[in-house]
Amino acid sequence: MALSGLVAYAAAVTVDKPTGFLGALATAAEDFIRVFNKGGSVLLSLMGGILPTLIVLLTAVNALVRLIGPEKIENLGRAAARPGFQWYPVRYIVLPFVSVFLLTNPMAYTMGRFLPERFKPAFYDSAVSFVHPILGIFPHANPGELFVYLGIATGIQQLGYGLGDLAVRYLLVGLVVIFIRGIVTEAITARMMTKAEREA
Amino acid sequence: MASFTSVIVKIGRGVGGVVGILYQSGRDSVDTVIRNVIPFMAFISFIIGLILTTGIGDWIAKGLKGSASSLPGLILISIVISIPILSPLLGPGAVIAQIIGTLLGVEIGKGNIPAQYSLPALFAINPQVGADFIPVGLALGEAEPATVEIGVPAVLFSRVITGPLAVVIAYFASFGLYSTSK
Repeated sequence: MALSGLVAYAAAVTVDKPTGFLGALATAAEDFIRVFNKGGSVLLSLMGGILPTLIVLLTAVNALVRLIGPEKIENLGRAAARPGFQWYPVRYIVLPFVSVFLLTNPMAYTMGRFLPERFKPAFYDSAVSFVHPILGIFPHANPGELFVYLGIATGIQQLGYGLGDLAVRYLLVGLVVIFIRGIVTEAITARMMTKAEREA
Repeated sequence: MASFTSVIVKIGRGVGGVVGILYQSGRDSVDTVIRNVIPFMAFISFIIGLILTTGIGDWIAKGLKGSASSLPGLILISIVISIPILSPLLGPGAVIAQIIGTLLGVEIGKGNIPAQYSLPALFAINPQVGADFIPVGLALGEAEPATVEIGVPAVLFSRVITGPLAVVIAYFASFGLYSTSK
């Protein structure tokens, strides 16, 4: 009884906003700590929201990759090395996707060893351009650079929208972009190689 | 009796193997999260806190609002980032892309940039991806030194074309994205 009366009394007391030199210092200190309080609450929401899902997903996909065995995709690498138009989608869509998914950044680029020299820069360009579009659905492929996607995705989440639509479109547009990028870089590489041969 | 024992041994080995793989995968993923993800989350949280509580946010919003909420503006961002001299400097660890992405995310969350632009923005901030890593990436693919010499400028020049092109493709692919209310 006495305690509750004390609490009611304490709540009724109001302190004037501090003024003068010390007051300015106090206000500055409050503003200073507010930055970190806000940052802390953002960190907590990130760690409470995304992190548990990410850990479970990472575990599942890592286990899947171990069970499949990364060496299984070597045949795909050999198929992608073949010349001809029908192998373009294999070389710059299927191979980058599978290697980034199974081998992750940066080991995915080792798949370039199955390709002839003239395709290697284009394959690298294609594969490296896919390490972010894949993050929306398969964050295990490049967890260190998650915020390229997550930074923008957090804003979408704050608006109350679902992330599925964005993640799927990011992945699909990513596949189109890496395909175009592969073809363009292959053409540029071919031109520069013939030029270098002529000069040599 | 001997065959029964061998069946038990087989099952035991199989289960043990799978559990071992799952356990090791769990260990790997927690390791990755602690080493790579949480440090970046801490860093990003600090930046978001700074943006949201100080006036920096409004200042950035003014700068970004014009460029990040129109197609020409996003193309301009991607062209600047894909300049062959700038792109290798902006590449390392995708740190710059992650910071710009977070800034844009904050502005999208506040409603200053339409949600529909999130997709083209993802490509606008990223034409420099891996531009710093070309020699290493090619070496991982066992490329010869002559290929590396040609490959570095080939990829960088290709980005000048395909960087803005990716933004245009993403822009047209973003029709109908978050345009209606929930």
